[in-house]
Amino acid sequence: MKLNIGRKVIRALIFFILITGAMTMVVPFLWMLSTSLKESNLVYQIPPQWIPRPVDWGNYVELFTKSNILSGIKNSVIVSACVLLFGTFSTSLSAFAFAKLDVPYKNVLFFCVLSSMMIPFVVLLVPQYIIFTRIKWINTLLPLIIPSSLGNVSMMFFLRQYIGGLPTELLEAAKIDGCGYFRIYYKIFLPLCKPALISNIIMVFMGTWNDYLGPMIFVNDSQKYTLQVVIKMLNSYHETQTDVPLIMAASLIAILPILILFISAQKYFVDSMAITGLKG
Amino acid sequence: MPAMVQFVCFFLLPLCLCIFASMTDWNVLVKNKNFIGLGNFVELFGDSKFWIAARNTIYMLLPIPFYMVFGLLFALACHKEIKGNKVFRILYYLPYVSSIVALVLLWKWLFNSEFGLVNQALGLLGIEGPNWLGDPVWTKRMIVIMIAWKMIGITSIYFLAALKNVPSTYYEAATIDGAGAFMRFFKITMPMITPITFYLFCINIIGSLQTFIEVDLFTTDGGRNYGVATVIYYIWQKAFNYSQMGYACAAAVVFGLMILLVTLLQFKLSNKWVYEGD
Repeated sequence: MKLNIGRKVIRALIFFILITGAMTMVVPFLWMLSTSLKESNLVYQIPPQWIPRPVDWGNYVELFTKSNILSGIKNSVIVSACVLLFGTFSTSLSAFAFAKLDVPYKNVLFFCVLSSMMIPFVVLLVPQYIIFTRIKWINTLLPLIIPSSLGNVSMMFFLRQYIGGLPTELLEAAKIDGCGYFRIYYKIFLPLCKPALISNIIMVFMGTWNDYLGPMIFVNDSQKYTLQVVIKMLNSYHETQTDVPLIMAASLIAILPILILFISAQKYFVDSMAITGLKG
Repeated sequence: MPAMVQFVCFFLLPLCLCIFASMTDWNVLVKNKNFIGLGNFVELFGDSKFWIAARNTIYMLLPIPFYMVFGLLFALACHKEIKGNKVFRILYYLPYVSSIVALVLLWKWLFNSEFGLVNQALGLLGIEGPNWLGDPVWTKRMIVIMIAWKMIGITSIYFLAALKNVPSTYYEAATIDGAGAFMRFFKITMPMITPITFYLFCINIIGSLQTFIEVDLFTTDGGRNYGVATVIYYIWQKAFNYSQMGYACAAAVVFGLMILLVTLLQFKLSNKWVYEGD
């Protein structure tokens, strides 16, 4: 009996810790939502109003009509879609090759590719900028699309591990049946990797959508800004007479797609973290 | 293979270019490019701003122990079969998946010295909140808090995955042998999760040393007296604000070598405490 009470206390304690943690995580976001629905003059009220009265959707209307957030969303969608489409294809193809095919110097090549993960990004940033200037890619979306479309190293590493775990007999059987390598990849291994692929796609989407550094450095034309840069600019533009609700509304729009995706595909997400983490 | 194309074009080529450029006085604006040997490196080590930035960069390591401990704590709590632990997991994850720009803007508002939620809460406790955004020392602290806040969730997910991989037979055996909860934690759980801890340390130290975006978004020009700037910020400024590409490359090479050194050191130390499995 005594033991039972002790257990209950511990449970309550754990629950309490979890709740406190969760509050810390969520309250700022609720505050963001609440602020974004306020009229400008209500923002500076002390003590703060949690549920704005009246609820004012005007900030969102203003955002879409007066700022270039629409073009930002458009650019972000273009970049993310291209990267996801081509990147997933090329990454999974190379992962397949590294895992199952006999390519000369395969391991050396793989090690080279992996080593690129170890170098800090800043070392590459300046020369990349110079190269992109030379080939006239600055102020286009190409620097954001092309390198990532050619593959993502961590994703490839992860997929290689995953494909490596699938039976090689599949490959041999298909070869005997007269299947070409590409068809083997496309018809057999790709469908088998589906769970791993989905979680990776989510990760890549997250990285691309939230990317701020690349767009900031490689794109200087306001028509080509991605969503993240648009929001950043919105903030500096309003720096003097900060329109807090407007900025909060914009921020909310920026995280909304990820949020929806994340909550709907939560299962894959957590699993992928688990697997990549342990393999790495 | 596309991966190789990417490797050569966007990694190997830039890397060589960077090392080469680090020895020139390349400036995009005046368009000169002369070989000056190690001149850039001499200038770099003589620049007091670089040293301030280096110190600030090390400061950015502060949140790591904090979120590692809390991450582990939450992971242990989630590991217990408690109602709603799936929901908790999602909630903890929120900051990590959100875009950094949005987070920074949110934090600027939360930590607003007059109307921010944080200072109002401190006010209720009778503490006068500091000027978070104006004072570089406090801005640095704020960034530390923010990074810790952001990383707790993801860290706990990693730990949780590691905890799930500890075979339950170990615990059963230990319980039969009369080991208490603490004993079980320190003798089984801790050693079994050292690999993931090591991995997280490696990744996070490299990540923290490369703190940049927060600095750029929270401050203009690295804050008063360059008090918030990190090395990456320094390099970025040299390259893209002053167009001193050669100089920036030199700084980048130095920094890259430092990170490499730190990583190697970690791997050397790792066999002292990481459990390699049986």
